[in-house]
Amino acid sequence: MAHAFTKEAPSGWNCGKCGEPLQPVSVNVEYMGSSFFVQLPGCPKCGTALIDAELALGRMLEVEKLLEDK
Amino acid sequence: MEQSTLESFESLCTQDASPACQSNCPIQVEAAMVIAHLAQGRVDEARKSLERHMPLAGLCGWLCEGPCLPACLRGRLNEPVDIPLLERHAVSAGRGTKPFPMPQTKHRAALVGSGLSALVCAQGLAIKGHKAMVFHSGPIGATLNDLPPGTLPPRALAEAIELLEYLKVGFRETEGGPPDPAGLLADHGAVFLALDDPWAAPLAPAGGAADPVTRGSGTDGIFLGPGATETGRVEAMSAGKKAAASIDRLFQGVNPASAREREAVGPSRLAVDLGGQASAPKAAMSEPPTAAEAQAEAGRCLACSCLKCLAPCPFLRSRKGYPKKYAREFYNNIITAFGIRHANRHINSCAECGLCGQICPNGADMGKFVGLARADMVASSHMPVSAHEFALEDQEHANSPGISFVRPAPGRDRADYLFFPGCQLLGAYPGTALAAYRYLNGALGGSVGLWSGCCGAPGRWSGRGRLTARATESFRALWRQSGGGAVILACPSCASFFAAELPDVPALGLWPLLDTLPPPPGATAIAVAMVVHDPCSARLDAEGQRAVRSMAAKIGQKTIEPRMTGRHTLCCGFGGLASEANPDMGREYALERTRESPGPILAWCSVCRDRFLAEGHPSLHPLDLLFPPADIGARLGSRPPGLSARREGRALFRDLALGTVWLENPPKEKTMPPNVDIPGEVLADMESRRILAADVAATLEVAKKNGPVFANPETGRLIASHRPRQVTFWVEYEERPDGTLLVHRAWCHRMVVPGVPGEGAESPASLEGYARTGGRV
Repeated sequence: MAHAFTKEAPSGWNCGKCGEPLQPVSVNVEYMGSSFFVQLPGCPKCGTALIDAELALGRMLEVEKLLEDK
Repeated sequence: MEQSTLESFESLCTQDASPACQSNCPIQVEAAMVIAHLAQGRVDEARKSLERHMPLAGLCGWLCEGPCLPACLRGRLNEPVDIPLLERHAVSAGRGTKPFPMPQTKHRAALVGSGLSALVCAQGLAIKGHKAMVFHSGPIGATLNDLPPGTLPPRALAEAIELLEYLKVGFRETEGGPPDPAGLLADHGAVFLALDDPWAAPLAPAGGAADPVTRGSGTDGIFLGPGATETGRVEAMSAGKKAAASIDRLFQGVNPASAREREAVGPSRLAVDLGGQASAPKAAMSEPPTAAEAQAEAGRCLACSCLKCLAPCPFLRSRKGYPKKYAREFYNNIITAFGIRHANRHINSCAECGLCGQICPNGADMGKFVGLARADMVASSHMPVSAHEFALEDQEHANSPGISFVRPAPGRDRADYLFFPGCQLLGAYPGTALAAYRYLNGALGGSVGLWSGCCGAPGRWSGRGRLTARATESFRALWRQSGGGAVILACPSCASFFAAELPDVPALGLWPLLDTLPPPPGATAIAVAMVVHDPCSARLDAEGQRAVRSMAAKIGQKTIEPRMTGRHTLCCGFGGLASEANPDMGREYALERTRESPGPILAWCSVCRDRFLAEGHPSLHPLDLLFPPADIGARLGSRPPGLSARREGRALFRDLALGTVWLENPPKEKTMPPNVDIPGEVLADMESRRILAADVAATLEVAKKNGPVFANPETGRLIASHRPRQVTFWVEYEERPDGTLLVHRAWCHRMVVPGVPGEGAESPASLEGYARTGGRV
């Protein structure tokens, strides 16, 4: 499946609850009535996803602004 | 927005109006465009520009007498630009292009005489696909053949005739006198009488002059060339060009007289400022001029334009446009039904400060138009939610029950006066604001109450009419409860909001009032002269401007007037929430002032002062001089309080005022938990994205309860996340051995990501004191 954006799992980080090292997980994100699949680092066990600063302030912010202007 | 709103705004901005050379040209040649190409040495493009309005440019370009020259504004400084010479250069050095005629129509026109007006008229008809037949006697061109070769090279006439033949214009040599026009109408839809040809001149109707707009003769279907008094060659061109347009309209079934205002000769509407233009006398030239000489002559053109409003405004300069062009873009943005609304950010980048309206000779105020555009965007749910969200939350915070209060003076049950410092002033320096209150109350016999809150200007700037109406209603109710006294306004933005939205509430400016009182005993001045900055919302408040300067003089503060002052003052970038929607643009506004200020700035708006301080420019508010802190030098060069500090400042103001003046014991607002450490540079980075210390504290509270979301055993760093409303906050931190939480970074996003903890969750009750309220319109 094509993802709107993807993000490599950062090394050294584990899920706070399960203790599992982060791996790419596919999640459905939603904003302003549009939704799409993205690949993010997350816990393979519980699915908790990490949106790091680089993504939140970069590509994700761009998409947010685009959707707000739609 | 109605289209008429756009059109009435557009009619104010003259930047699109023809410059004087064009408005005075009987054939509407865009001389400035021709000259601009020549100034760059682009002769082919220059000729192409000439051909757009000048028919048979290869012929007419030699013959123009320059009726525009008396109107050329270069002529006010030196000699006018020699436009006829430049036209001759364009047609002799530039390559001509062949016009592309439209498909042939069934319409036929007869032209009697072959003078200049006939050739021009024939060309105009032929390119529209109409069949033009020129009846003539003797050589085609009539008296043009008598001109000396230095005036008109014979090849120019020959080439024009070739071009007309290429366009399928017919020429019929006629024996004897000219044919009878009425007879020609039998098998031609229209007849043009080229009276500049002596052979056809006897056909001029006795006493009947041509209609100046259509060249109609008064007899249907018959149009007239230049009359006996219209002896100029450009007049002949104009008559032929106008007649061709009329005949074409006649053939198309359109009224020949309607909507032809643009063809009229008259003064230019374009406002041009000649101040600062360098002298450029005309140089001696060879005949014909060399390419370099022509280029130099073209370089003397002032390229007349208005654009006065652009010079001091970073917003108007930012997209290579001008108010009329932007208004059209904004209107198109509003009526966009599908697709991306590209102008949203630009619309939200205007400070609505009114400077352009003061500069414009017609008062075109982009900010007022922007205000209407924003209201339209809000009403149609197309305003980007993130643009003004923080400012609206801040307005709500300042008016929240734990922060806002109204009290009559201690011991009174109603207030004759109510001091309203404004949410930014009292949040930034609560001590200064309270000192001002104590002084006012003392000086006015203990009759002054105090009111802490936000007037509602952010909601108004953001285009939210309903929010503004609600804010003014609750405002009015509070004011009545307090006794309906006069409100003393320290903030010029509050003052302009009151004037517009609460005209029934009596309001006094702080500065005119203070100017009637003796200066406070502790007032001080700094040794260097300060540049007085009038806030943009006070640009029309002449009394406030006078009073601030008077107070400064009374306390011995030397001042300097900046270039842009009074009604032409600059905006700091906070106006219209420009700095909220577009922080970079907000900075450009502030720099516009700081760059031209040779000394520290004395700004009588708290936000202006803080925005100049944020750019590293020493600045003070006049209240800083009247009620100085222990070290005024430190404040002059300080970093301004951040967003989190301002919110804490509002809480502190309430505690200080109610605790020390009214001797109440108000419940304390929660401030940062003592075990969270946010280093200064981390806080500044967060606040640039409108993340408050309270947001971080709330996120860490969630992690304390539920554990961190992610952990990095190698570095000992932890990550917490929390979504209290439409924003998800993330905090990277570590726990020190002593239990304090050191924050390394915080960021946020608005997208909803399932699987991120806190998505959709209610804020725990324990966090109410921290969480920003999430009110939306």
